[in-house]
Amino acid sequence: MARIELEHLNLTFRLRRERGIRLKDFILKRMFLPSRNPIMEVRALQDINLRIDQGDRIAFIGHNGAGKSTMLKLLAGIYQPSSGRRLVEGRVSSLFDLTLGFEPEASGWENIAYRSYLQGETPASVRAKKQAIAEFSELGDFLNMPVRYYSSGMIVRLAFSIATAIEPEILLVDEVLSVGDLAFQVKARQRMRDMMDKAHLMVVVSHDLESLPHVCNRAVWMDHGRIRMMGTCADVIAAYRLSVGPAAAAA
Amino acid sequence: MQSYFGAIWSCRFFWLSLVKMDLRSRYRGSALGIFWSLLHPLAMTVILCVVFSFAFGQDLRTYAPLVFTGLTFWGFFGAVLVGGCSCFFQGESYIRQFPAPMAIYPLRTVLGAAFHFLIGMLLAITIGLLVGPDISSNHGATRLNQLLALPSLVPSCILLLLFGWSISTLSGLFSVRFRDTKHMAEIGLQGLFYLTPIMYRIETFKGKHRLMALLQCNPLVSFLDLIRDPILLGQFPSLTTYATAGTVVLVLACAATLAMWIEERRLIFHL
Repeated sequence: MARIELEHLNLTFRLRRERGIRLKDFILKRMFLPSRNPIMEVRALQDINLRIDQGDRIAFIGHNGAGKSTMLKLLAGIYQPSSGRRLVEGRVSSLFDLTLGFEPEASGWENIAYRSYLQGETPASVRAKKQAIAEFSELGDFLNMPVRYYSSGMIVRLAFSIATAIEPEILLVDEVLSVGDLAFQVKARQRMRDMMDKAHLMVVVSHDLESLPHVCNRAVWMDHGRIRMMGTCADVIAAYRLSVGPAAAAA
Repeated sequence: MQSYFGAIWSCRFFWLSLVKMDLRSRYRGSALGIFWSLLHPLAMTVILCVVFSFAFGQDLRTYAPLVFTGLTFWGFFGAVLVGGCSCFFQGESYIRQFPAPMAIYPLRTVLGAAFHFLIGMLLAITIGLLVGPDISSNHGATRLNQLLALPSLVPSCILLLLFGWSISTLSGLFSVRFRDTKHMAEIGLQGLFYLTPIMYRIETFKGKHRLMALLQCNPLVSFLDLIRDPILLGQFPSLTTYATAGTVVLVLACAATLAMWIEERRLIFHL
């Protein structure tokens, strides 16, 4: 059973203007001198209460910086909550930052193996899937080349093919639908649709308000790190459009 | 704790393949490939031996294995300390995508260094047995004593592995917080090189008590003894050596665990 529960969850980033503290600053701070590299607090998620059950297809909408992508990373286990309770049950597959995490010196085949291992595969199961991944990516002989020589489109193709080769219980998607050239996009959409059908639970972050109601049954409207509205997809999208302006509502 | 190591174990295929790739890419396109990790300390040993045997009249048969074991150990220590500084930056793109335990990134550094260390040790053992030092001066020890003492290297290597994992974890976490760490580590490493009996024996400074005391405080000496005693002297390392090395590893491992415990959840925000 796939299930997600968030209770009174907060996530606060404590950032510095310059990443990493200088040892000098650290010592100066101890001596009560004002730091030139102050800590800035960003309250990325505030008091989130949310329950997502098996079969739910949830969309997160909201303006840029509202905390949607942060929410996905939190659900994926990459960010840890500052306070509150997070419960995620089920095997998670995440489709975001797809082009990250390739070893440039290694060949396409090797990278297929690395990423599959990270998704919890074993050498035996990778061997079984390798061919299917390669075929779907349509990269052919390029897979023998180091990934360093790939174009960005080729990398996205490979990443998408690997990431979607598993059958997830929980699927987290962050607007990745513009993958590769036109022919590949058609294929990728089909693959996404298949995956969404198979997944026990799905969370999508998107600005594509037109297509969301076809994919999702519930929606959450995020605003400045808080949940502003939660309900059926149509209701929430309508309310969101109204708040943005009459022009958007008419569209 | 147990579940944490369970998580490290369950993604073993991932970090093992990264280690394999690191080794391969390090020598990609070089004609001698993996032999370089042998040739490097060997060439250094030859250079030092030539210099020291001419300048200071050292006996080569004793001096060469001494320097070679010393340099092999130092190569490991340097790789772990300085390489550890960049381990989390190296793995940043994975950290940003997958919630794997953070300890696998320093582990990757250590295992790479350990591979080179093991190759060096095999050569050191060969040199020690074939052209080796005159061990009979050590209470009439024979080649048989030397052979019998060799198995003690197995637990020593495990100790060294834990030592290296702790060091690279600490230096990695430190350099995420303080970006100057790597530069300071490099300078510290250079200074420490002369304070560690790599190119000389501690006994060389018998008359100089202050220097002796300083050298004996160096925790690295016990690790050098762990690998040198069986090969150079044909004897098991003393209990004191094991106790010192064991204590150092325990303290460092506790410090690394504690630091990881604190930083694991926040690390990504500082990358």
